[in-house]
Amino acid sequence: MTENEKKMTAVVKPEDIESLIELFEASDWDEMHLEIEGLELFLSSDPKARIAAQPQHPTATHASASAHAHATTPQGMGHLAPPPTPAKEVSSAPEGCIAVKAPNLGTFYRAPKPGAASYVELGQSVTADMEICLIEVMKLFTSVRAGTAGVIREICVDDAEMVEYGQTLFYIEPA
Amino acid sequence: MALNRLFIANRGEIAVRILRTAKRLGLETVIGVSEADRESMGAEMADRAVVLGPAPSAKSYLDERLIVHAAKMTGCDALHPGYGFLSEKAKLASLCEEEGIVFVGPRPETIDMLGDKLSARTMALQAGVQTVPGTDHVATIADAKHAAEQLGYPVVMKASAGGGGRGMFMARSAEELDISFERASREAENAFGDSRLYMERFVERARHVEVQIVGDGEGTIVHFGERDCTVQRRYQKLIEEATSTALPIRLRRKLHEAAIRITSFAKYRNAGTVEFLYDVDRVDFYFIEVNSRIQVEHPVSEEVTGEDLIARQLNVAAGQGIGLSQADVHFRGHAIECRINAEDPFNNFMPAPGRITAWTPPSGEGIRLDTHARMGYLVPPFYDSMIGKLIAKGRDRSEAIERILKAIRDFRLEGPNTTLPLLSFVATHTDFRENRITTRWLEDKGLPDFSKA
Repeated sequence: MTENEKKMTAVVKPEDIESLIELFEASDWDEMHLEIEGLELFLSSDPKARIAAQPQHPTATHASASAHAHATTPQGMGHLAPPPTPAKEVSSAPEGCIAVKAPNLGTFYRAPKPGAASYVELGQSVTADMEICLIEVMKLFTSVRAGTAGVIREICVDDAEMVEYGQTLFYIEPA
Repeated sequence: MALNRLFIANRGEIAVRILRTAKRLGLETVIGVSEADRESMGAEMADRAVVLGPAPSAKSYLDERLIVHAAKMTGCDALHPGYGFLSEKAKLASLCEEEGIVFVGPRPETIDMLGDKLSARTMALQAGVQTVPGTDHVATIADAKHAAEQLGYPVVMKASAGGGGRGMFMARSAEELDISFERASREAENAFGDSRLYMERFVERARHVEVQIVGDGEGTIVHFGERDCTVQRRYQKLIEEATSTALPIRLRRKLHEAAIRITSFAKYRNAGTVEFLYDVDRVDFYFIEVNSRIQVEHPVSEEVTGEDLIARQLNVAAGQGIGLSQADVHFRGHAIECRINAEDPFNNFMPAPGRITAWTPPSGEGIRLDTHARMGYLVPPFYDSMIGKLIAKGRDRSEAIERILKAIRDFRLEGPNTTLPLLSFVATHTDFRENRITTRWLEDKGLPDFSKA
């Protein structure tokens, strides 16, 4: 074990990292940057996000549709517990795309009202604040915005289907 | 009107408890979970789990619109609210009714009426059940003395505009009343802008006793005995028992009758608990309130009657009535329940969320453990800290105590701190064994003794 590894395991255990990851995933935070003696932990719900000083060798990454973790010591090395099993969605995510997720449980609608044209179609270009669908809960409709400028590469839910909190609705290839 | 698919709008051990009976009865089940409970035991047990929202309760378990939407979209025809969360909010019951989903609990108007302490008290009095004797506004010291004589010392004066234990003054005699009255008026004026006071009999030594009932919604009520929940800390119950052997039998019968009178008067539907304050010195009891839901401590009543109360709830909800008469309910033995919380009893009950790293629950004659926890479970920081309920049944109270003590000692649980050491200490304490405790006992004697041990 290197000096750094010893330092890390002494202060923060792998189980703690796991717990932090789980808590982060269960929260609605976008990002968490934690520095505790000998350990720097960066968690983000955006797979492209990086912390400013990126070391050469990011260590164990927790790959899931919702959180990417880079845990390192300032010198760049450390041992972590093996990452927990990724969420099911990862395997079907088209490469380089960003998932648009349901902000809460509800019924997914592709159009502003029955019979009207859908907000978006496959292959359509969208801007970050474009409305791309509606989620209805007990007759209360909230629109969901793209969040990223790009192209709709996948529509993952059928019209009028119930979606759960965090369920992937669309994949957008960023511009 | 048989039920087909039940939606469970709760989490933790009560979700598991409801699911166990629902499955036994052949119902299909759907559970609504927060993101944090995706991998919970309840989510595994249910036929389907739907994620309502993120971990915070306000965005998941407390949002009746998300819950009812999920229940509807998953084709559920009934919904069980468990305890806590929205179980006593008429809005969930109303929304279910509006959407054609059977709410496993009372009618919304009953929940509203009983949820208002004042209207509940009025109803109790109408039903001929006494509440804590008290007065209307007491304007002068002379009125105060007269009232106190009627009520019997000690008395407590309370600010009409007060609450939460503020603006209360106790007096044991007319002399003390002389001093307190002026002070109380002044303090009430300063604190609440209203100097008016009313008076109540002060119950120096109290026990908390409650009666489990199930009503058919048309006036018929069956009771399942009383429970004694006197071991409390900050109004939170730690240990509950059935039956309440500290009370004389004739008084227990009166409690049952009073509970039936109130809930029958209200045409109460489904399961509920009528709470009373038992005045140890005056050997009398007073109605406090009705809890219009299944309660945490329902297992002890199940153990001494051999009943499944969740099944009774589902029976009533299915329109099939209570399913038995009072004559069918028999009481045998004694049961004690200890609530196990992920809190550190050595450190002011600091919540101790964390992962369970060792889990070997006790087993044996008369032992029951209602829990959603297991090896590797990560106790989340978002919800209440209760991780399980350990219940021991015996032929009498002594045997139940011996069994629960052995069970606590046999329970190997590592990871988060738990209240098991305190529960063990209380169960061994002479005051508890001899049952001469009151609602103030744990805080005034039990905990100080525990910290010295």
